[in-house]
Amino acid sequence: MLKPQTDGEAARFLLQASFSASSGAIAEVRNDGFAPWLDRAMRQANDVSAAGYFEARGFDRVDANRFYNGTTTGDWMIWSQLLSGGNVLRKRFALALSEFFVVSLGDIDISWRGPAIGEYWDILNRNAFGSFRTLIEEITLNPAMGVYLNTRGNRRADPRTGRVPDENYGREIMQLFSIGLFELNPDGTPRTNGGEPIETYTNDDVTGIAKVFTGYDFNYSQTQAFPDPTNPARTVAGVDFARRPMTADPSKWSRPSADGFHAQEEKRFLGLVIPAGTNASESLRLALDHLVAHPNVGPFFARQMIQRLVTSNPSPAYVGRVAAVFANNGQGRRGDLGAVFKAILLDEEARAMANVANPAFGKLREPMLRFVQLARTFGVRSASGNFEVGSLSDPANRLGQSPLRSPSVFNFFRPGYFPAGSQIATNNLLAPEFQVVNETSVAGYVNFLEGAVGMSASYLRDLSLDYAAELPLAHDPARLVDHLDLLLTANQLSAPVRETITGAIGSFAVQQTSSDADKLRRIHAAVLLVMASTDYLVQK
Amino acid sequence: MHIGKELEISRRAFLQRSGQLAAMGAASSYALGLAGIGEAAAFSSDGGYKALVCVFLYGGNDHGNTLIPFDPANYGRYAAIRGGINEEGGGIALPRASLAGTVLLPAGGQTLTDDITYALAPSMPRMKARFDQGVMAPLLNVGPLIAPMTRAQYDNNSVPRPPKLFSHNDQQSTWQSSQPEGSQTGWGGRMGDLAQSANTNAMFTAINATGNAVFLSGRQALPYQVSPSGAILFRPLRTGRLFGSGTAASALETILKSASGNILAADHATINDRSIKFGSFVNNALANAAIATDFGTGNGLAAQLRTVAGMIAARRSLGVTRQVFMVSMGGYDNHDGLIGRHDGLLAQLDFALDAFYRATVELGVADRVTTFTASDFGRTLSSNGDGSDHGWGGHHFVLGASVAGGRFYGRAPHVSVDTPDQVGRGRLLPTTSVDEYSATLAKWLGVSPSELPSIAPNIGRFANSDLGFMQQPETVAAAAKRMT
Repeated sequence: MLKPQTDGEAARFLLQASFSASSGAIAEVRNDGFAPWLDRAMRQANDVSAAGYFEARGFDRVDANRFYNGTTTGDWMIWSQLLSGGNVLRKRFALALSEFFVVSLGDIDISWRGPAIGEYWDILNRNAFGSFRTLIEEITLNPAMGVYLNTRGNRRADPRTGRVPDENYGREIMQLFSIGLFELNPDGTPRTNGGEPIETYTNDDVTGIAKVFTGYDFNYSQTQAFPDPTNPARTVAGVDFARRPMTADPSKWSRPSADGFHAQEEKRFLGLVIPAGTNASESLRLALDHLVAHPNVGPFFARQMIQRLVTSNPSPAYVGRVAAVFANNGQGRRGDLGAVFKAILLDEEARAMANVANPAFGKLREPMLRFVQLARTFGVRSASGNFEVGSLSDPANRLGQSPLRSPSVFNFFRPGYFPAGSQIATNNLLAPEFQVVNETSVAGYVNFLEGAVGMSASYLRDLSLDYAAELPLAHDPARLVDHLDLLLTANQLSAPVRETITGAIGSFAVQQTSSDADKLRRIHAAVLLVMASTDYLVQK
Repeated sequence: MHIGKELEISRRAFLQRSGQLAAMGAASSYALGLAGIGEAAAFSSDGGYKALVCVFLYGGNDHGNTLIPFDPANYGRYAAIRGGINEEGGGIALPRASLAGTVLLPAGGQTLTDDITYALAPSMPRMKARFDQGVMAPLLNVGPLIAPMTRAQYDNNSVPRPPKLFSHNDQQSTWQSSQPEGSQTGWGGRMGDLAQSANTNAMFTAINATGNAVFLSGRQALPYQVSPSGAILFRPLRTGRLFGSGTAASALETILKSASGNILAADHATINDRSIKFGSFVNNALANAAIATDFGTGNGLAAQLRTVAGMIAARRSLGVTRQVFMVSMGGYDNHDGLIGRHDGLLAQLDFALDAFYRATVELGVADRVTTFTASDFGRTLSSNGDGSDHGWGGHHFVLGASVAGGRFYGRAPHVSVDTPDQVGRGRLLPTTSVDEYSATLAKWLGVSPSELPSIAPNIGRFANSDLGFMQQPETVAAAAKRMT
């Protein structure tokens, strides 16, 4: 059984598989070995769902706070999920999935958008180690996705008005959520014909599959209406419709009717023919079965998940091994996401310690992951219990990234991105996360850290860190840096950077008897310096 | 057909130049500048300052409700296709009466396809006024093409078409760089490569006031990113204190610039270094370049353009005479809710473009700064109920006192979902290529005719490398003199 040989090796594994490392978890992984620990940690149930959060905090009630109208509780919900609670592996993978199946809180213009995106997050979380096929069906019918990519209210063609089905979801479910634009080999490399890549679909396939996603709208069948507390002349629909899967049954819509709007004509795409007269749910079943069976899905999905968790430039062999697990989990099941997650993390390419020194290995830590790591490592608490942190998207004055707030369905960055005029480009490497790196964001990040290491920034005022494990080390710069190096970088700080940090924090006068305030100043500086270093920023 | 031949020619030209640059050991050097290195034949920097500003409309602008047919016959076709009833609008058709104030009538008269008369969207009165003033020109049905193409050639695949049509990210990249996602350089950056020679500080040749995009990446020219509030400085370095310690602040600077072995880390350190090195310099230059023009509030595009205007105002301090800028706004992917959202976006665009034009007048450079729009693609003319879907060709705008404005350029498409100038649902088959558009702008900026293929690699397959909508500032000045 493979076990980490050092604390650093265990921390490295934890930082790939979850959000942070702790002394306790490091000891567990060293004791259990990688695979048994992973099996055990993956079985942890979800302790608080997004729906549970909204209910516990009263954010799904119609009252004078008008929580139904706005995005605030959506941001708080996702920060509470990421910053607190257990089942961190599941959440880590769900977050990676949220960057593949993208929905953005900023672009869901409906009542109850907080709970709507909360339900979306719960779907990702619930299915993170489940079935790809189940997951893609649940997100397709989720109201947040329905609004984001326009399946909600989409109708069959009407020759009288010239109306035709909306193509948006049909296009993006193929381009982004399943097969991608090019035919792929099982190892994720493009198949070619005469040196040219082969496109997977034509626009006729888009117009064909678009008919599948017609006839759906919100399911109001169990939704109550409440008096609007600020305007008694109006009523406000309760939260249920924003969570329940959309329905093609017109008797369940807000204005029930006898006739639905699902396309009755033949639906033809990617070689599949769904006969005329097939109803909405059967059409959806056939279409999703067909998409998920496409040989591209495994390598297309596997490659991007490896990029999110381990390295921007996986070898084709690594992609191929993970894609093979997607195709068959060993028990004949296709699309077992838990098996894919394990395959990514236990792969020899992910585990090989030699890769720490490989100049082309690793990935830039995403800004939101840096913040989550900071908070979890140093015992974050929320004074209100709500985790009242808003969007941190602004690169100039905030973090430059906020979960569930991608600027478009193409995620914060593209899997094929590389910065121009860089060594990354000249070495033919990719670095997706560099799409959010520029002169503005790098300075914005350090300024953000200055207000985050002590949670002193006004927009983080609900949070605090305790630094309980660090205060006893604060008087000893070398030991403090050792400790932070392990937990934050898995001992990947280079010797010169360690020396620079150790020397710099020596400039703060701190003895064992110093006040906590003095000790914290040194700790804050040390944490900031570690987290500003490129040794930290690139996770290897 | 020899696709790619021009690229090869421009590549050889580039290799020659980059060899010269490498010999100088000074590529992209801020300290040394790059003035006059072997670029004389490739680029003309005569006649003072010039800049191009690309306004990218992310999501794919609905050109159908941006320039709307107004004459009764063509309006009737438009309304019928977009689900409107008579002249009252409805579906995704705007009511005809709402267009009366923004009809664009070329001063000398101009006969377009099917005698069409266009109106601008009702929320664009300022651009209507700039058209009437002669400094704004619409370019009709422009989009990416590898070679001129008919509908028959599209159907039988006898002429290569740009890959991955109708896909957002790929067509953004194709508009910006001639190639789908994964492209190394954009035509703004490639102009920057040539224009760097005109600038003392090469770093400020290509300025990005929005998110990272390939448009401004050149082979040497790198985009310098600046926020709507100017350069963002590392606060501990500006104050010289990190949690009270000067030693820790200087350690921070050392660490930010360090990387050990990893390629990604090295590139991150380079960007940190660039940010540290140029931030204060840029902000000092901006501080000394006051602009009185009102850019309003709550308009993100206007805020970006205000920064661009500031950089232009600071051009002497920054040491530049040729610049390419990029700004952007999002929200144009209106598959749903087109009516109600799109007009608001265009209102912001109208205000922001006009504010920027006013600023260039204030700075005395209205004839030296040309602003142009670009977008992922145009959209379907037919409706999906309350929005439109991804298309191909679309209409765009060029604005500036060097624009021969007040008339249309390019060929107006039929208002139709079944004529050969569209490929289904009114997705326009472009009749003017992005290469013709970019070549025309590049020539105005100073790119020599022999170098145009390095900007617009397909230009050799098109009849026009100059669409005629630009005139040199000297000509503008002479015309203005004649008029007074």
